[in-house]
Parts: sequence; structure tokens; C-alpha cells
Amino acid sequence: MSEIFKLPPIEIEEYSLANGLRVVLNADNSIPVVSIAVYYDVGSRNEREGRTGFAHLFEHMMFQGSANVPKAGHFQHIMKAGGTMNGTTSSERTNYYETLPADQLPLALWLESDRMLSLAVTQENLDNQREAVKEEKRLRYDNQPYGQIFDLINEMIYKNFANSHSTIGSMEHLDDATVEDVQEFFRIYYAPNNAVIVLSGAFETQTVKDLIETYFGDIPSQPLPPSLDVAEPTEVAATYKEWEDKLAPFPAFLIGWKIPPRRSPEFYALYLAGKILYDGDSSRLYQNLVKGEESVIQLFGFTDERRGPSSIFVGAIPKPEKDLSKIRETIMREIHDLAVHGPKTEEMEKIENQLVNDAVRMRQSSMSRAQQIAEFALYDGDPTLVNTELDDLLAVTSDHIRNAVGKYLNTENRALLDVVPVGKEKKLTQSR
Amino acid sequence: MTPELRKNPPQPLAPVSFDVPKPFETTLDNGLRVIIFENERIPLVSYRLALQSGDVNDPDGGTGITSAMVSMLTEGTLDYTSLQLAEKIERLGANISASASDDFTIVAASSLSLYSAEILHLLAEVVLRPTFPEDELDLYRRNTIENLKFQRSQPGFLAGEQAARLVYGKHPYSKVSPTAADIEKLDRDSLATFHASTFVPNNAMFIVVGDVKRDEFIGEMNELFGDWQRGNSESIEFSLPPAPGARTLTIVDRPGSAQANIVLTNLAVKRVDPDYFPLIVMNQVLGAGASSRVFMNLREEKGYTYGAYTRLGTKMLAGDFEATAEVRTAVTGDSLKEFFYELNRIRDEKVGDEELADAKNFLTGVFPLRAETQEGLTNLIVNQHLYGLPEDYLQTYRDNVDAVTVEDVQRVAIKHLRPSEMAIVIVGDAEEVLPQASNYADTVEIFDTDGIKQDAAKYARADTNEAADVAGTWKLVIDFQGQQMPVSLTLEQTVDSVSGVLETMLGNGEIADGKVSGNKLSATAKADMQGQPVDFTIAGKVDVDSMSGTITAPIVPDPLPFTGTRQRHDR
Repeated sequence: MSEIFKLPPIEIEEYSLANGLRVVLNADNSIPVVSIAVYYDVGSRNEREGRTGFAHLFEHMMFQGSANVPKAGHFQHIMKAGGTMNGTTSSERTNYYETLPADQLPLALWLESDRMLSLAVTQENLDNQREAVKEEKRLRYDNQPYGQIFDLINEMIYKNFANSHSTIGSMEHLDDATVEDVQEFFRIYYAPNNAVIVLSGAFETQTVKDLIETYFGDIPSQPLPPSLDVAEPTEVAATYKEWEDKLAPFPAFLIGWKIPPRRSPEFYALYLAGKILYDGDSSRLYQNLVKGEESVIQLFGFTDERRGPSSIFVGAIPKPEKDLSKIRETIMREIHDLAVHGPKTEEMEKIENQLVNDAVRMRQSSMSRAQQIAEFALYDGDPTLVNTELDDLLAVTSDHIRNAVGKYLNTENRALLDVVPVGKEKKLTQSR
Repeated sequence: MTPELRKNPPQPLAPVSFDVPKPFETTLDNGLRVIIFENERIPLVSYRLALQSGDVNDPDGGTGITSAMVSMLTEGTLDYTSLQLAEKIERLGANISASASDDFTIVAASSLSLYSAEILHLLAEVVLRPTFPEDELDLYRRNTIENLKFQRSQPGFLAGEQAARLVYGKHPYSKVSPTAADIEKLDRDSLATFHASTFVPNNAMFIVVGDVKRDEFIGEMNELFGDWQRGNSESIEFSLPPAPGARTLTIVDRPGSAQANIVLTNLAVKRVDPDYFPLIVMNQVLGAGASSRVFMNLREEKGYTYGAYTRLGTKMLAGDFEATAEVRTAVTGDSLKEFFYELNRIRDEKVGDEELADAKNFLTGVFPLRAETQEGLTNLIVNQHLYGLPEDYLQTYRDNVDAVTVEDVQRVAIKHLRPSEMAIVIVGDAEEVLPQASNYADTVEIFDTDGIKQDAAKYARADTNEAADVAGTWKLVIDFQGQQMPVSLTLEQTVDSVSGVLETMLGNGEIADGKVSGNKLSATAKADMQGQPVDFTIAGKVDVDSMSGTITAPIVPDPLPFTGTRQRHDR
């Protein structure tokens, strides 16, 4: 199939400014829209102990103004130009991005360069954003049923602090963050030589190169950040834990395995094994558990892709009367089957079509192209991998999948988190 | 670049025009409208079989039947079992999904254009020949009932359920979800009958966007859908509830909640209302985005929330306006105050020319961004046709936005935002929320998370007269015959006794005999003005870090109103 369906390559031009800022241009004039993605090589993995949540709190500070942009001016400038924008923080990186009508490209370069050069940090803004971040933590984690389970299981899977602690952080650590911390973090990590900027969409290449030099060329580089050790032993840190969740209506469980880094052959094989196990209505676990045994309300699974040791998860919210251990046996039985017999021919055909489909869809929007390119540029130093990753994935054979599942998933070396609901009855007896 | 050049935002480059061409439209002999948008940019194809009937068409006593019937389309057909369908679709790397909203039903399929014929065949199969197998229906019933329980654990669902009930009364839009009893009643025969009567070509349209050839495609459509038999399609009407006439407070008690989910809502307009364009511009200024007023106020200035927004829900038959935020419980009352401040401000004052221009620029500027992906473009075309918008709707959208004036914005704000009769819905810990919010409404009702009404009296605190904490420095502004006069009030507090100093531009006054009772502060400041002793009497009402009230002095005839906030202090 892949032989008759050759995707045209995404056009890539890469270079660096004298200050070390890496630039990648992907010109595509099909729609008069342009996306800008700035990726800084700093994430929660770079946080020190006692400052969890800091990389993400800092991301909020990047919207609080710089020498020539007032507090919250970033939102205003982008939106009144008809654009959209945001920033996100993960373990691996912090990114900032805008999509705009093509003629507004200079605005985005002005805004991104002004904050890279001259972020304004005040006590008042820090206090305010600390509160916004605490509400984000309450909204997404503390006030949602099952909202904290992924942070908890990461602490069970990883032994290295850089990998194990949560990106949202703890309330106490957020309270402890000072203006000096913010300034120091900015100096160390928000330097042009620690960042990648990607432009994707409708533009004229020479105009854009001139604009980038104008806006970013005079931002001074900094000494490289301290090196980081994300190495892990192969054993998980803890194999079992019970978590009392006062908002959960039903019990649930989550299983997590520690697996090799992104882009390794084993990671690719396990990513595809995940598709076979839990992706879509024809997946093995959906057909076994949601259909078949009819034992679960919700089934989910995904891979957490990191530059260092990564992870893969399968979780379920079973129906109330169902035996959780039997559901886990079914999951392990399917994993065992994959480890012994490997995927079926139809499953390999399905994966192949899904991979091509995903690759085509990713190419539609300038923002998804810019983000993919930025990851390859930042993590691998090679943005052109955006054009070859599909081939790498299609090269994975059923034997690769069988071997990787046998080695990394069909094992007791995994973390199991049981969620125990502690409902409102308990709360009522406590409070009245 | 010189520092001077950095000072101001750069000028845009030469504008690039963007126009969505009009799609081709034809009608099959059985009345099925076919809308074709040929686009070779990407080797993908998107199909939508869209029906102008949805959950509102559930018959009396049959709540949930539309959604159930639609969900079951992919669970078995004359030729394929549920598993076979899933395998056939996913083996192509493709997707077919069916869903019903209040007004419409959409069966969507998308795939690589390489498989456009195969996926169209499968789409026709699920639309025309579903069999609603008994065992699959049984599983649907049981899973749906469990999911109904599950969604009651989510604060957003609980808030939406109450908001819809309060805004829409007996209108079917008031039901956001069927009950377990509704689901129990569903049976195979009624689904099959309902499918036969509502899935008729003269109530449907078929939209394709992507890499297809028009003539070939019409041929395929005739082959697959040509024998689809016409039926009746009737339009239905419902009456809307009368104006509430009062502001109501509805609390859903969720003990242990880490936040309060606030929704303020009232009935607004349907999608085709002539006020639509002024309303979306007004809403952009007020709260649609991260540069809108309520976000700037509640998040960026106050830090109460991660996000505060306003939203227009414009449906086929009616619509609503909502202001929402999830805030930390302690600032529930303060958040209501700021919401009502913003709602009143956009009604009472004309928006500035620049603010209006910014909002319009956003709405027109993001338009091409929405058409960047095939899914995005398809949704624009589908919505245009389902709502029956003009043929040149996508082509004239920008002109319609640009035509809105500041007067239009104020007119529609006054007409469609009605703070005095909004429904306030708060999902949170009722004990904590009630004392902060009850003053903002004329009536109060409390429900548990199962939707059972509770006795509001049992949530009232025994200690409501406990003295509020007023210690600290308050920056107040006195309205002196239209002049804004800043004063500063620094207070120390021992239980309910208060002392301190009032500082004004005209001189300072010592406070010796202040009292706090509940959230009410009363005090007298003894000042010396140009040799004359003057007593200022202060009557304030404290709401956490804000205070409002009056100051009375013998030298002016009427009490002077003031408002203000407390400076940050350590507590």
C-alpha cells in the first residue's frame, strides 16, 4: 500500500543565527495562514527538588509582558490580529505558538523576540499567575475524578526525580517560588541557543529570513544550561499502590510500564503494539472487555513519549460489580498472546493504513506541521525526520512487535495503581 | 534591531485574500441534497450524511431514542456484524462515527482518498441497513446507564444540567441527558421503526469535501442512495418558558469540591436571529477569548480562576447566553461580583472604538484558520447548510462582522444579557458557597449530585454572625457628587472591635469605636479639618477583600457611597 501512496515531502530549510538560535522554515502557500512555534529546551525534567511545577509556572510568566509588551498584551495583540496562540509545558520542553493570517507574521516575531530578550518579571505578576496556576491544578487534577492518577503512576514507574515528579507540581512548591527563581530560570533556559523557532505556512522565504535576523539576531546567547541525567534503572520504583479518590464514582485501575526512549526501534514497536491493544473499536482489548466480557465502562491506553526512558499505560474503569483482577488477567493474556504469536496480518495492515492516514492528517495544518518539526529539531537536531518517521514506523515488522512486547510488557516489572473511591458518605460523617 | 524599533508592534505585510469558493449542489430524484466541494490539496476525503432532526425529535415518552438509534448504526447491519464493521473501517485507517445533537444527526466518515469508494460503501451500509441487534442494544443500555452515573461525578456536567433546566424550562433543550429509566425503555422494534421514519432522504443532505471527481461521485451516490425511499419530514415547534422575572441561585452540593463551577445564564437567540452578528462581536469583547474582558478581569487581574469565559449557545430553535468560570471556593462571591460588574458594564457603557475593532479583527482574521484542515472546512459547510444560512454565508461573513457598530453591541447587550433575571448555577461545596452567593440572588435552591432537591436551611451556618476579618489597609474611592475621591482606611481588629485610621486628602481621622457584626463594619473617624473637629460615620459591607458602603459627614447633606478593596496582607 505504501508503495502506491507516496507522500510529497514537507519542504524544510534549516539554519542557525550567530547567537545559536536554530531556525526551521517550512513554506507552504496553500492557505494564507502562518504558524510560529518556539520550543525551549526546558521542561519539568529540568526542575530542581523543592521547585516542582516551576517550568509550567514560568510558562505563564511568559504571557505577563516584556520590555515593549504590556502584561497580557500578548493575548491582545495576537487576537486582534485574528490569530490564536498558547503555550504548554511537558516533561521534555516548553512551547509557545501562534497561528495567524499570513500578513501578520511580523507581529508574532516581534512578540516572541521581545519576551525572549526582555521578559518582565514582577512580584505582582508572579503572585497573580501563581493563583491562576493553582486554579489550573484544581480544575484539571484535584477537582476531577481520577484526575491525579497519571501523576501518581509516574512516581511509581520512575526512580529518577527528573522523570518521576509531576509537571503541574505541588501547591507548596508553587508558593515557594520567588521572583529571583523566575529571573534565574529565564537567564539559564530562555536563551536563543537553547531554543528552536519553526515557521510553517504561507510566506516568502527571503522576507522571513530578514525578519528573523532583525528580531532575534541581537538577543545574546548564554552559557549552556547544566547537563541533565535522566537515566533510569530498568526496574520500576513501585509495583503496587492504592489511591483513595474522593471524587471517583467507581473503582478503576491503571497499569504502567517503563519502556525505551522515543524513536528507538523498541519504542516504535511498543507504540504500534498499543494501537493493536487499545486503539479503536476493533482493538483487542476493546473487543475483549467492552464487548466480549462486557466488563468495563471505559478503556484507555497511550504512550508517554520522552527523550529518556518513556512509558506506556493501559487503564480501565470497570463496571461496578466486576472483578478488577479478572480484567487485568484479560489484559495480560492479550499481552502474552502478542508476545508469543505477534500481531495478525490484518492487524499489521490496519496499522499501516492508520499510520499513513495519521501522517496525511498531520500535514494539513500549519500548526501541527510546525510542532512536529520543532520536536525533531529540538530533540534530535534533525527537522527532516518529519519526512522519514513514517518510513521508520512502516518498517516495524510483526516480529519487532512480538519481541518488544515480550521483553517490556509481558512482565511483572510494571506499576499497578488501584483507585478506591471514598465517596460522600465519608465526608458527611467527618463534617457533621 | 534598535531598541526604538522594538517599541511598537510592526506593520503587517501585504494582505493575502482568502475566499472559500461556493460548493456545487444537486439533488437526487428522491430529494437527497448532495453538496460537493472538490479540493485536491490533500489526499483525503470527508463525507457527512446530515439529517435535520436530532434529540428534540424524540417522541413523547421516548427520550433518548434518537441518540440510541444513532449510536447503534455502527453496531450491526444487514451485511456486517459490529466487529466486522469496526475491522473493515479501521483496516482502511478510516473512521465512521454517528452522533446526534439537539437539532441534527450527523453520520461522518473520512479516509484517505485512496479508499474513498470503500468508505462510502460502508457509510451507505450503516445509514441505510442497520439491524439494531438485540445483544448490542442490551450492551448499549447497560453501558449508557453506567455512563449516566459516571457523568454525575463531573462538575461540568452537573452545572450544565441545571443551567439547561433553568433556561429552557419544558422545552426539550432543557434535557442534556436521558435518565436511566428512559434508557431501560428502549427496545429494538422502536429503534428500527424510528430509524425508518426519520432517516429519509428528503430530510437529509450529503456533503463531501476533498479529493473527489464530481461526476464520478454523483454516479456513486445514485448507485448507493438512489433507492432510498422518501418519507415524511415534519417540522416541530416548542414554546419557550416565560421570562423568570427574578435572579435565581441554584447550588449543586458536591462536598469536598476543590473549586466552585459557576455558570450565569439566560435565554438568548437562535442561530438565524438577525442579532447574531452583533451578538458574536459583543461576546468577543465580553468573554469569548483570552483577551476578552472577563478573562482579563477574573484571571489576569484577580487570579481567581484558570479561565473565565462567556459563550453563546445558538441552536436551531432557541439559544442561550452563559458566563462560566471554575474558581477557588473562597472567591465564589467575589467572582460573582466581577461577573455582574462586567455584564452591567457592557450594557451601561458603549464599548470603545478600538475594542470593537479588535473584536471584529479577531472574528474575521481567524476565519481562514478554521478552513485550514479538511475537517474544519467541512464543518463550516455542514453548519451553513444545516442551519439554512444564506448561500453566500461563508463569502459574506467578514462583511457582516465588519458592519457591526458600537451602538449595535450595546443594543444587543441590553436586550440579550439580563443580569437581573439570570440563573446562577454553582457546583461546589454548598456550605462554603451558600454564604458567599446568597446575597446575589432573589431565591435559593440546593440539589445534591443526584439531582435531588435539598432543604436549603440545613446548609445555613450557625455562625453567620461571626465577625468578618477586616484588618488591613483598604483603598477606597468615595463618590463625592460625581468626583472620585480616594481615601485609605487602615484597620486593626480584636474579635469584633476595630480601631485604626482614615486618611483623606483633607486630613486624617482616628477610629476608636469600630465594630464588626457579621460582614458589616460600623465606625466613626474623628478628624480635625482646619481646626474644626469633624466626625465621619462609616457603614461598610465586607466581602472578603472588597468593601462597599457609605461615609456620612455633617458637612455634606447625603451619605457618600464608596467602594474599594483591601491591599494584600498576610493572613
